[in-house]
Amino acid sequence: MAAKDSPLKQFEIDPISNIELGGYNISFTNSSFAMLITVLVITIFLTVTVNTRSIIPSRMQLISELMYNFIAQLLSDTVGDNGKRYFPFVFSLFMFVLIGNMVGMIPYQFTFTSHIIVTFALAAVVFIGVTILGFINHGIKFFTFFYIPGVPFYMHPLLIPIEVISYLSRPISLSVRLFANMLAGHTLLKVFAGFVVSMPFFTGVFPLAFIVALTGLEILIAFLQAYVFAILTCLYINDAYHLH
Amino acid sequence: MPQLNPEFFVSQLFWLAVFFTFLFVFLWRVSLPRITTVLEKRQNKIDENLSSAKELQEQAMEIEKKINDQINKAKLETDGKIKDTINALQEGVSSQLSSLDKDLEKKVSDAEREIIKNKNDQMKNINNEIANITKLTVGKIAKIELSDNEINKVIETHKGSYN
Repeated sequence: MAAKDSPLKQFEIDPISNIELGGYNISFTNSSFAMLITVLVITIFLTVTVNTRSIIPSRMQLISELMYNFIAQLLSDTVGDNGKRYFPFVFSLFMFVLIGNMVGMIPYQFTFTSHIIVTFALAAVVFIGVTILGFINHGIKFFTFFYIPGVPFYMHPLLIPIEVISYLSRPISLSVRLFANMLAGHTLLKVFAGFVVSMPFFTGVFPLAFIVALTGLEILIAFLQAYVFAILTCLYINDAYHLH
Repeated sequence: MPQLNPEFFVSQLFWLAVFFTFLFVFLWRVSLPRITTVLEKRQNKIDENLSSAKELQEQAMEIEKKINDQINKAKLETDGKIKDTINALQEGVSSQLSSLDKDLEKKVSDAEREIIKNKNDQMKNINNEIANITKLTVGKIAKIELSDNEINKVIETHKGSYN
């Protein structure tokens, strides 16, 4: 298959304008453009819809409040009262991933969450932040997080390394989950789109129908992955407060 | 796979940092406080309305209590008045009855007295009548002119037999 028709071609990054800073290439690319669109959509929507600050909300204001309450509820359910401080961060994270995924669903639009470096950076921020938070809250006692109480003592040499590894693999699992979902979904859509073109006569309508259904599924996954990202962040924050 | 091409890693990280930081600060400082204000305002309004509704309910209950009290009071008053009226009526009736009784008694006694008086009068007259009749009868039958004294004497001797 020619590189031009590869289903992975959609993930290629094209610079829009070449910028260099201190020897590093920080070109404004189609990925940056998608991020810009995402940020603009979120900020403009959340600002304009709540502009009137009416007690009886309009439909658009209701959507903003719904998202606000969704994340607020998520945080209070998982972390409790301590979670209120992290609400702006978790909300930003959720909206950024959600709208980033949704922007990616627009045909010919780039999906920046399908790049492991982006999702890993977000997951790393969460991981480092939560680890620092754990040490701030518990000091050196935070290491007892890897010690599981109520287990026979001879199991600890086995369990403590497992706990450490599972803790350290959190940013990887968090980022790869989102990245792989986006990658797989968009690749699959592209593959079936190729079938529509290449199949003879009218049989192309079958993969087309499949694409329609798959697009619905992808929108669901776009929401679901943003939700998973947010809820795991909440759970990690909770771990930084409550050791075993 | 383009994702593993490190050519644009720095660029992506740089723009991610720029845009995500902007988004975070903007939401934290501008958008979310607005929504918080709206939600708090709404909650306050709801609480206010609920408390005023509670107050009104209490007032309504107080008024209802007052109304019930007044109804009870009015009932008691009317009961008393009805009783008073009944008593007054009964008293009036009994006093009228007793005065009627008295009148009747008086009338009866008056009538009795009248009758006795009449009887006595008649008794007095009867002697004269008897004397006259006797005088006339004796004069017509026996052609004897009797004096009043003689006749009276005879009548006196027979008096007990018809009285």
